[in-house]
Amino acid sequence: MPGGGAMTELVIQGALSGLLIGGVYGLIALGLNLVFGTMRVVNFAQGTLLMVAMFMSYWLTAKTGLHPYLTPLLTLPALFGLGYLIQLWLVSPLLAREKAREPMSVLLMTLGLSLVLENSALMAFSADYKTVQVGQTNAVWFIGDYIISIARFWGLLAMASTVALLWAFLTRTDLGRAIRAVGQDRQVARLLGIDDRVIYNFAFGISTAIMGIAAAALLPFYYTHPAVGTTFLLKAFVIVVLGGLGSMPGAALGGLAVGVIEGVVGIFTEAAMAQIVLFAVFVTMLFFRPAGLLGVERK
Amino acid sequence: MRDEERRVALGLAVAAAIALAFLPALIRTLLADHAYWNQIYVWVLFFAMCATAWNIIGGYARQYSFGHAAFLGIGAYVSTLLYLNLGVSPWIGMLAGGIAAALAGAIISYPCFRLRGAFFSLATIAFAEMLRVWGELTDRLFGILVNGARGLVIPPVGSDFWAFQFTEKASYAYVAYTLLLITLTIAWAVKRSRLGYYLAAIGDDEEAVQSLGVDTARIKLIALLISAFLTAVAGTFYAQLVLFITPTRAISLDLSVQMVIMAVMGGLGTVFGPLLGAIILVPVGELTRAALGGSTLQGAHLIVYGVILMLVVRFAPKGIEAFVAGAFRRLIAAIADRLYGPAKAQDDVVNAPIIQLPEASSSLGLQAVAGGAVPLVLADVTKRFGGAVGVKGVSLTVQPGEVVGLIGPNGSGKTTIFNLVTGYLESQSGSIAFAGRPIAGLPPHRINRLGIARTFQIVRPFTSLTVAENVMVAAFPRCTTAAAARTEALRCLAFVGLSHRVDTIADGLSTGERKRLELARALATRPRLLLMDEVMGGLDQRSLPAMIDLVQRIRAEGISLLIIEHKLKVITSVTDRIVMLHLGEKIREGAACEVVSDPLVIDIYVGGAAAVR
Repeated sequence: MPGGGAMTELVIQGALSGLLIGGVYGLIALGLNLVFGTMRVVNFAQGTLLMVAMFMSYWLTAKTGLHPYLTPLLTLPALFGLGYLIQLWLVSPLLAREKAREPMSVLLMTLGLSLVLENSALMAFSADYKTVQVGQTNAVWFIGDYIISIARFWGLLAMASTVALLWAFLTRTDLGRAIRAVGQDRQVARLLGIDDRVIYNFAFGISTAIMGIAAAALLPFYYTHPAVGTTFLLKAFVIVVLGGLGSMPGAALGGLAVGVIEGVVGIFTEAAMAQIVLFAVFVTMLFFRPAGLLGVERK
Repeated sequence: MRDEERRVALGLAVAAAIALAFLPALIRTLLADHAYWNQIYVWVLFFAMCATAWNIIGGYARQYSFGHAAFLGIGAYVSTLLYLNLGVSPWIGMLAGGIAAALAGAIISYPCFRLRGAFFSLATIAFAEMLRVWGELTDRLFGILVNGARGLVIPPVGSDFWAFQFTEKASYAYVAYTLLLITLTIAWAVKRSRLGYYLAAIGDDEEAVQSLGVDTARIKLIALLISAFLTAVAGTFYAQLVLFITPTRAISLDLSVQMVIMAVMGGLGTVFGPLLGAIILVPVGELTRAALGGSTLQGAHLIVYGVILMLVVRFAPKGIEAFVAGAFRRLIAAIADRLYGPAKAQDDVVNAPIIQLPEASSSLGLQAVAGGAVPLVLADVTKRFGGAVGVKGVSLTVQPGEVVGLIGPNGSGKTTIFNLVTGYLESQSGSIAFAGRPIAGLPPHRINRLGIARTFQIVRPFTSLTVAENVMVAAFPRCTTAAAARTEALRCLAFVGLSHRVDTIADGLSTGERKRLELARALATRPRLLLMDEVMGGLDQRSLPAMIDLVQRIRAEGISLLIIEHKLKVITSVTDRIVMLHLGEKIREGAACEVVSDPLVIDIYVGGAAAVR
């Protein structure tokens, strides 16, 4: 049993590692939140789209030797287009039909999509774990006695800059403002001459493109695998509920919080136990504050 | 349906049931690779059982659980642990597992049912995943070996009925068939009972059901208990079939998702839909797996399931049951024509277009049962939404038999007052009393039971039910049988002048008819006080007098009324007294003609609202 001082150090180290991977969690939650905030629908395929993005980046790196951090240059446009088309072809027809404010049919549709994508990947690429070795993979910095994984650090930085960029986009540009307007009240937005359907296409496209950034950040230190999406999707749900539905800073902070919880719990027990703790936090949050820590309760 | 057709349908159903029972024997004699086909048949029956059980809460009440595999796992583990440790027969363990799963359902229902839509689904995923991970990490539970992720093996003992093991694989088909018949019978009985009506109404609009005096939390709990029990029974069967269980397989998200997909594809909320879904999906999935070769590719069939789910959601959101049922009806009619001669032409009066409204029956005779009118008293009630004021310090009384109008511009707090009185909102301060009894803080259904009914500003009919069934949901709490509830419903519908629409699906009603339906529904709860939220809104000039007449007749029944209305002409003609709200505060109260001619009231309604502050 380590002494008190060593224990504290372990906990801080766990929290630090968790904080860093929490950056990537935050990115995925950001994508989920953008779609939910605009359309009030849960995209069950968000995790699977991350998996698709990871395979894109992986193959680009494996075949062309491109550094993982440069792959978004190519994957972002492709993923944006994919998301745009998913919304246009699969989700929009349902939204046009549904009267409910939070249509369940979209959840079922995206569930179907994720089953198709995930299991196709399983057939095409087999269940093997694929990893990429780059300079950042095992590189670390020491700050005092604490170890900082450089790859994870870049992941956190990617999340921070994506949040900042997205925030600037949503508040400073016409399209961004239109996305927020549609999220608040699509009827009024429509009356003001905004075509909400096109806005939805863009929102879904951007949400999918963000997975490209997350994938690039993950690739150097995480395995690529067809079922990787489910793991992250469930975490992203926890984050979104923790941080607040539709709240961008909430997604970022929620991601970090989940990372820290995982990191710290992982020190005391088996890593899988952290999952139980996360879900317990999730259910407690849903129960006591369904709008999340930073979300606004609607009347 | 004619009596002859009913006879044919019954005959066909019995014939099909018997034929299916003998299917394993048929497979055995006709097919060379009969073991393979028998296995597929058993899986069809197993998944049909699971999806039917899921449908009772997921489809009937539209509570999309994505965690039903947890109940399956509980059933599998409880019976297996009882058998391995105490030698209890799995047949008894099956019931124990069902009870354990129902208990688990009761525990998670409280947090989960507070959530709506996707959040309910997410919470059920969370619970199932917690159980799975915990199971994988737990080797011993109170000293009993559960063996974590490695799972438990049930040692084969040869054919032994008591041990629920058979060397002849067709026996599993007979067992599964019997269990499925029981499951379907229960699902059918639930659908036909008042529970079924309540669940369907909850699936359409839970809040509106609460306003009719129905404790929706209790109803959903009962449905969940039944559903969890039956799923766990299927779980025990699963354990005895494969003789090897692990948390990873038994409590997998994939398994939960497959139950959802089969029910959605077959037809959510229908009795036989999930069975149809299983009949189609299981063989298709199995053949895909065979065609793509290799048992290593566990997910091959899920690609097909995913594609089918997407197609169904897009093109047949009600599932395929409707098509199949339609084809069956035509087949039955054709057979009946052959056997008994063609059907006599029937006058299809039910949905014939009506130009003239039929004479509404003049009286409902409510005074006798209502037990006398009682006053509603609001004293100094305040409700804030975050920083915004909804209602501030409002005091208001509705005397027995009185008709009070509540007026004020949009956002003045009228509907907020309705929501406070009927329990949909809770005030921060002040008191609300009905018949001298404080009612603030009571849930909506309790308040309705005390004698306060309401209508909603934006009408909320149960769109998947017929007009009569809509009102039956309201009448059930006071009736012992479905027949009595229907009689009561027809009386209320006649009173509001909707007799000609009784068997129409409520979704097809016009705005005026919907408003009448909502009144009939409210009246069927036998209220002593009725809160009407803009029942005249959206009506044209021609329909207005009839609605005013209806309000007068409701009043003549001895029911006190609190009415929100914008049309001042209407309100002066039906009310005794008017209360004027502005920005959440009561600013005027008095006789209708006085308030309406008050310069301040005119100013607020017509313009210059700033003058008040």
